[in-house]
Amino acid sequence: MDIAHIATQVLERIESTGVPYMLVGAIAAGAHGIPRSTRDVDFLVPVTSGGGVNAIIKALDDIVVFEQQAVFDTLTWGKRHVGQTISPPPIKIELFELFDDAFVIQEFERRQQIFIPILKCKGWVPTAEDVIVQKLRWGRDKDLADVTDILAVQGTETLDMPYIRGWCAIHKTADRLDAALASIPPL
Amino acid sequence: MPNPHDHPTALKELQDSIYREKVLRARAMTREERISAVIEQSDLQFGMMLAGAMVRLGTDDENLGWQEVRKGLERLDRVREHGLYSKTKPAA
Repeated sequence: MDIAHIATQVLERIESTGVPYMLVGAIAAGAHGIPRSTRDVDFLVPVTSGGGVNAIIKALDDIVVFEQQAVFDTLTWGKRHVGQTISPPPIKIELFELFDDAFVIQEFERRQQIFIPILKCKGWVPTAEDVIVQKLRWGRDKDLADVTDILAVQGTETLDMPYIRGWCAIHKTADRLDAALASIPPL
Repeated sequence: MPNPHDHPTALKELQDSIYREKVLRARAMTREERISAVIEQSDLQFGMMLAGAMVRLGTDDENLGWQEVRKGLERLDRVREHGLYSKTKPAA
């Protein structure tokens, strides 16, 4: 089995629950920037709609084993459920609960549905601007590299920079944004 | 031909040139094609990890190879995610 096959199964089962979701992580970053490999397929999921995370975990239970205990990220204290595919390759399926955070709620509301040819199905992804804002907030090396890539690929002339700068001011990440912009060589 | 690694300016120009090529290639793709590329690159990476694990183990058993890959990725997660996640949320 390959990642495309597993990702298709996962997406179809999540769609079948009717629970709204959004792909995040490397797939979302790759959609807007420079594609890079990943071993994770990450989702943001509301807790309450249509049974939320529990409905998804149940729908995936014959292809993904989830850890008994969820964990909290130490930046926003959002809750994360981690699963591993039963069949190889060992892909990590992560479900992040949508929580009471003004930016994350807006990011989720602004998500866009697209058709993913390799998976032969549709999926929901965040906008390029929202990926930039959230990754600047995380601020890990790979997040900042993704931000630079998205800024370079999309170009500041097509991105809604006032929207990005507005959230960066709230999150106090404007310095990170400026550093990412300054690191892009002339194209 | 001079080695660009001996000259910081030449090295930076080389790095910028490689990055520029990656950006322009990504710009020529649609959003959907870029997601497909993420999945194709990931499959390729898993294939290389499997091949490496099987060589290290000296086996032609793919199941053993995948078990080794899984163990390696779990170790990597423990390092990369150290301090990023907690099993308990602090009291408000």
